Amino acid sequence: MIRRFLTLLAATAVFALPGLTNAAPLRIEITEGVIEPLPFAAPDFVAENSSARQLAQDIAQLVADDLSGTGLFREIPDSAHISTITSFSSPVQYADWKAINAQALVSGAVSLQPGGRLTVKFRLYDVFAGAELGSGLQFTGTQEGWRRMAHKVADAVYSRITGESGYFDSRVVYVSETGPKNERKKRLAIMDYDGANLQFLTDSRSIVLAPRFSPTGDRILYTSYETGFPRIYVLDVASVRRRVLEEQPGTMSFAPRFSPDGQTVLYSLTKGGNTDLYKMNIANGRSQRLTSAPSIETAPSYSPDGSRIVFESDRSGTQQLYIMDANGGEPKRISFGKGQYGTPVWSPRGDLIAFTKQSKGRFHIGVMRIDGSEERLLTASFLDEGPTWSPNGRVIMFTRETQGAGGSASLYSVDITGRNLKRVRTQGGGSDPAWSPLQE
Amino acid sequence: MQTGTIISGVAHVSLIGWALLGGVFKPAPEPFEVTEVVAISEAEFESLLAGTEPPETVSDLIVPELPDVTPPEADTPASSQADQPPVLEQPEETKPPRPEARPDRPEITPPTPAEVSDDVAVLAPPSDEPETDGPVSLTPSRPQEAPRVAPEAIAPPEPEDKVADVAQDVDTSDATGEEQLPDQEKTVEEAASTEIVTEAETAEPPGLGRSLRPRARPNRPTPPEPTEVADDTPPQPQDNVQSAVDDLLAGLSNDTANPTPPRPSGPPLTSGEKDALRVAVQKCWNTGSLSTEALKTTVVVGVSMNEDGTPDTGTIRMISSSGGTGGSVQQAFQAARRAIIRCGARGFALPSEKYEQWRDIEMTFNPEKMRIK
Repeated sequence: MIRRFLTLLAATAVFALPGLTNAAPLRIEITEGVIEPLPFAAPDFVAENSSARQLAQDIAQLVADDLSGTGLFREIPDSAHISTITSFSSPVQYADWKAINAQALVSGAVSLQPGGRLTVKFRLYDVFAGAELGSGLQFTGTQEGWRRMAHKVADAVYSRITGESGYFDSRVVYVSETGPKNERKKRLAIMDYDGANLQFLTDSRSIVLAPRFSPTGDRILYTSYETGFPRIYVLDVASVRRRVLEEQPGTMSFAPRFSPDGQTVLYSLTKGGNTDLYKMNIANGRSQRLTSAPSIETAPSYSPDGSRIVFESDRSGTQQLYIMDANGGEPKRISFGKGQYGTPVWSPRGDLIAFTKQSKGRFHIGVMRIDGSEERLLTASFLDEGPTWSPNGRVIMFTRETQGAGGSASLYSVDITGRNLKRVRTQGGGSDPAWSPLQE
Repeated sequence: MQTGTIISGVAHVSLIGWALLGGVFKPAPEPFEVTEVVAISEAEFESLLAGTEPPETVSDLIVPELPDVTPPEADTPASSQADQPPVLEQPEETKPPRPEARPDRPEITPPTPAEVSDDVAVLAPPSDEPETDGPVSLTPSRPQEAPRVAPEAIAPPEPEDKVADVAQDVDTSDATGEEQLPDQEKTVEEAASTEIVTEAETAEPPGLGRSLRPRARPNRPTPPEPTEVADDTPPQPQDNVQSAVDDLLAGLSNDTANPTPPRPSGPPLTSGEKDALRVAVQKCWNTGSLSTEALKTTVVVGVSMNEDGTPDTGTIRMISSSGGTGGSVQQAFQAARRAIIRCGARGFALPSEKYEQWRDIEMTFNPEKMRIK
């Protein structure tokens, strides 16, 4: 009996005492967080020669503007910086950047050679980790292309922090609008995503509509009323040469869009009072009818893999969204909410469809899953329409028109979360934007 | 008829009475307790009383002498402070000397002729290792006695030199185009040794931190042969009990010899204390810059905590993840790590008396509610 007691006592001492110092880890679950821009610092890049001094400032500022413009980042102004970076190779004083709560730091250097060759290099640091985030990168180009190099730096920074590709080195084609509403002049214009480097591609003698980029960004499809009837044209961006794509007497063709491989064009054709979907092989000009309903089918858009098509149709009595096989077949309706749905565009990621919705006298830009579930309206105004996706599928640009005789159309962009709604800088009014893929 | 009834009644009463009084319902008698008795003779009893051969008592055990040196307070916390973690005096830390000149980085690869190229020139990170004048001997040597520990031993200063944090010489040379610093006062660093000379390494006998294991209880004197054998019971059980006591005492003795005091454990954290920690972390869990894929990724992050409530940032690690791919998992982990570091920089409000309960924490960051719906 005594031995049992002592054995029990000894066992308690052996097992209980170490247990005091080897407790199981405390486990907690975090399910709520905050959604706020990530603070970062982008001090002026180091000018490696005197001729690059202004460019060093401009490039650093453009990188900061790109990042801040997403709404996901917040730049800490230079006046708050404790450290200054005077050499691209000098070690980073993480404590100084931590003290101002900079969670990311972008440092860079710029050199301009006598021949006009510009070199931009940068490093990205995770301040709180006290380590570089990825390796240093270097871009080389002409002095005139400094904005593109800055956009590429910003794309790399964005990608490393968010985990998804950027969209800054991209362009936007749209319909530039000038003049009063009853005498509005429209012409195609192309610009950087941020409004810089504006170029006009057509004159204003005829109405142009709905420009769309090819998958490589080198060609543009659009609709023109040059002949009095809507016709689809293909325009080469570099040479600004164009040709008619579809010309059948007594028909109207419009709403074109490239297939993901760039070999086929989807469009609507009105013949005999009926509008259906067609697709045409650009190389041989052969077209194929995809729908044959007595209703109006238009605004087709390919899925990223080219296997399916989403479009709008009023076959149910009201304008709704449908998905069908790329070679035709029985469409499946995906929109069932109250109101009318139109201009669907498949996301580059393939998981969402952006659309225009008209309900209770107001227009909305919204997104839904490809099965029609989880519909979310991102905007609401007198007239919002014509969404287009950024190359990474994170941002939607669209047209917003104000009410009244003096109303005008402008381009706006919004994050797919519904945050960061802002106007896109354009020269004059604009409508029908189409976002290019990332430039090579 | 009546006679039969009477006989029956008497018989029943007798039977019931016998049952009650006769012990039918009494519990079974307890088993006999057997007590071991050893019969000894009168002579033996007398000899025991006379103490002719007194057995060694416990007082004869060799007890380690108390040390002469008064132990420092930090090593022997007062009983009233038993619940508080002992405060150990740590040697003063000395920062390693900063390199005055950083090594140059390798030149970046010359630019490629492309208009804009994605080709990268991997730039080697700068070396943070300070320059050394020569190889440092790693052979252990007897450290000189000094109250401070530093990476390099520093000789005791001259009496007229002033002790300061940084050693500096007064520049007595002529300025040859170089900028002169303002007047400097010659200072030397405080004397230091590279090792702590512990008591174990000194010649003096150890005081605290070492105790002798008590000797085993001496054998009892062999009792004289009884003239009348009452019961031939071997003393084996008593030896077993004795050995168990010895083992227990030895174990306790070893425990007391361990100089590391047990850390406070305390009861488990209350739900309120856990909630406070959860709220503190989620204040810094920023999912605003996460990709939609990363917002579908749940990560479990482990971290070891310091006693002051700050996280040991070097121990932050990902234990597991679910719902994401490689890139999104990394993004989700980085966001979680930033949350722990940022909001833990000043220490989380955790009860110090329960340190062992939160020394290691596993945090599950589940962005389901933060996801875009």
